[in-house]
Amino acid sequence: MSGLTLAGVSAAYRDATVLHEVDLAARPGELLVVLGPSGAGKSTVLRVVAGLEPATTGRVHIAGRDVTDLRPGLRNVSMVFQSYALFPHLSVAENIAFGLEVRDVPRRTARERARAAAETVGCAGLLGRRPGQLSGGERQRVALARALVREPDVFLLDEPLSNLDLTLRVEMRAELRALHDRLGATMVHVTHDQTEALVLADRIAVLRDGRVEQVGTPEQIWRTPASTFVARFVGSPAMNLLPADAAVCRTGDAPPLPEQPLEVGFRPEAVTLDAAEGTPATVDRVEVIGEDAYAYLTLAAGHRVVARVPAARRPARDESVRVGVRWADAHLFHADSGRRYVP
Amino acid sequence: MTASRPAPRIRPDTRARRQHLLMLAPYLVGLVGLMLLPALVTLALAFTEYDLLRPPTWVGLDNLTALVDDPIFRVALLNSLVFAVVAVPLRVLVALGLALLLHRRAPGVGTARTATLLPTAVPEIAYGLLWLWLFNPLYGPINQLLRLGGEHGLTVLGRTPPPWLTDPTSARAGIILMSLFTMGETFVVLLAARRALPRDVYEMAALEDATGWDVFRRITLPLMAPVLALLAVRDAIASLHFTFVPAFVVTDGGPPPYATTYLSLFVYQTGFEYLRYGYAAAATLVMMLLTVAALLVQWRLIRRYRRFYQV
Repeated sequence: MSGLTLAGVSAAYRDATVLHEVDLAARPGELLVVLGPSGAGKSTVLRVVAGLEPATTGRVHIAGRDVTDLRPGLRNVSMVFQSYALFPHLSVAENIAFGLEVRDVPRRTARERARAAAETVGCAGLLGRRPGQLSGGERQRVALARALVREPDVFLLDEPLSNLDLTLRVEMRAELRALHDRLGATMVHVTHDQTEALVLADRIAVLRDGRVEQVGTPEQIWRTPASTFVARFVGSPAMNLLPADAAVCRTGDAPPLPEQPLEVGFRPEAVTLDAAEGTPATVDRVEVIGEDAYAYLTLAAGHRVVARVPAARRPARDESVRVGVRWADAHLFHADSGRRYVP
Repeated sequence: MTASRPAPRIRPDTRARRQHLLMLAPYLVGLVGLMLLPALVTLALAFTEYDLLRPPTWVGLDNLTALVDDPIFRVALLNSLVFAVVAVPLRVLVALGLALLLHRRAPGVGTARTATLLPTAVPEIAYGLLWLWLFNPLYGPINQLLRLGGEHGLTVLGRTPPPWLTDPTSARAGIILMSLFTMGETFVVLLAARRALPRDVYEMAALEDATGWDVFRRITLPLMAPVLALLAVRDAIASLHFTFVPAFVVTDGGPPPYATTYLSLFVYQTGFEYLRYGYAAAATLVMMLLTVAALLVQWRLIRRYRRFYQV
C-alpha cells in the first residue's frame, strides 16, 4: 500500500506555466479523481507524476520515495493513456507482457502474468489478437490489463473512458470502480466529466488554470463547493448564480444576509415554481429529459434561472410563474473572489 | 479487419472529365512518347540485330541465348546483384541511423539534415569527379587520412592503404562507399516516417523503463518495417541505374576483369560504343525483368502490410 504526494509542484511548457504550486495527495488505496475543464492542467499533473514532464518546482513522492529526479521507468507507476497507446504490431498478450519482458522477466512467467491480468479485466479471450482488430472497449480493457500486470505503486489514468460511447463508458466506469475496490490500489484518474468524477471518486480534486480549486469527497464537492467555479463546473445544468441582493423569494429558514457583496448559488433542484409569495418570472424554454424537466426562466429583475421540475408538472413556454428558492440549499460566495462565504 | 469501403464516387460530368484529360495530356504525351514507345521499341529490338546503319534483321531469341553465354554480361549481372545486396541494405541502414539521430528538434539538427541531403543534390558527374580525387591512392584525402600516424606511406597497422580504383575488390567497395552518401531521399522518407510514429507509444515504453535498444528493437524497427521494406525494394530498383555514373566516370567499368561493369554500363557500352543495339536491347530487357520482379515484391509487401496495420 502506498500513496502519492505532490508538494508545491509547478510545471511549464516552454514559457507558459501550466501548473502553479500544486499540493495534492492521494492516500494509499485511494481513487483520486482530478477534475477540470480542458486546459486546466489535469493531464500535466499525471505527466509530472509519471516523470514524462519535469516539475519546475516542488517535489513528488510515491510510496514514500522522493521520485522528483527519477526517470519515468524508475518510478513504478503505470499509466493508461487516453489513446491507450497500444503497440499496433504486437498481439494483445505481447502488449500486456511488454513491461515485464523489457524488465527481463522470463518470457513464460511474463505470459502467465499477462494472462492473469487479462482475466482480471475480462479480456483473456483477446490475447492472440492485434489492437487493430479490437473495438474501443476491448482496447480499453487491454490498456488496463497492461497497466495492472506489473503491480505498480500508483495507477495513472488519463481520461481512459473519454473515447468510449456513452453506454460503454457507464459500464466501464462501474467496472473500473469495482476493479479498484478489488485491487485496493492507489489510482489517480483524470477526467473532464463531472458525472464520472462523482461516481468514481473517493475524493475529487478540482483543477482550474493549473491551480487546485478544491479537494474533497464527491459529497463535499457537491454540497459545499469552495468557489463559484466548482459550483458551476459540477452539476448539470450548472448552478444558478445571482447577486445575493437580487430580488428573489427565499423559502424555508432564511437568515438575514450579511452586509457585504455576495453572490448566491442554488442548483435547479432548489428552485420551486409554485411559491405563493414567489418572485414573478416568465418561462423562456423548457427541456424535458424523461421524468424531469428543466425550465429556463427570466426573473422580473432580468436574472436568468434554471429550475428542475417534474416533467408532468412543467410550465408552458411564455407562462408566468412565481419562483421561490429553498434557502437551506443555497450557497453564498464572496462576490469579488468567488470563494465560499463562511459565516 | 476489412475497412469500410468508401462511398461510391459520383461520376464527374463530361465537362469535368474533359478538363481532367486536358490537364493530364502533357504528362500522358510525355509518358507515351518518351517512355512507353521507346520501351516497346527496345522490346522489339531485343529480338533483332541492329547497328544503326543497316535496317534491323530479325534474329529471334539469338540475342538472349547469346547473353546467357556472354561472360561479360554474366559478370555485369553478378556485379549489379552484388551491389544491390550489399549497398542497398547499407544505404537504408545509414539513412535509418541518421533519421533516428536527427528526427528530434535540437540545436544543429537542421544543419545536419541539410548536410545529409546535400550529396544527393550534387550533380552526379561532379560527384563522380569529386570521388575520383578522394580515391586517389597517393594524394587523395582518404588515403592521407588512413596513413595518419603510420610510417613510410603505410597505415598505423603497418599495412598498405587500399589502391582503390586499380584493385577489383577495393574498386567495388569504393563504388559502394560513394553510394552511401547519396541516400538523401531515403533519409527524408524515413525522417518523416519516424516523426509520424505516435509519441505516446514511446512514453509508454519510457514508463516501462525500456532501454534504448529495447525501444529500437521492439517498437521503432517493427513500426517502421513496412517503410523500410518498401524503400529497400525501391532502392534496389534504383541501384540498377545509379551505378551507371560512378562506373562510367570514376572506374570506367574497370579495373579488369570488368570489376565495376554493372548492367547499366554494359548496356551503354554494348549499344553506344560497340553499336550492337539489338544485343543491348536484350540486356535492357533483362534489367526490365529484374525491375518487374522487384515491383512484384514491392506490391506484395504493400498488400501484406496494409492488411497488417489496418485499424
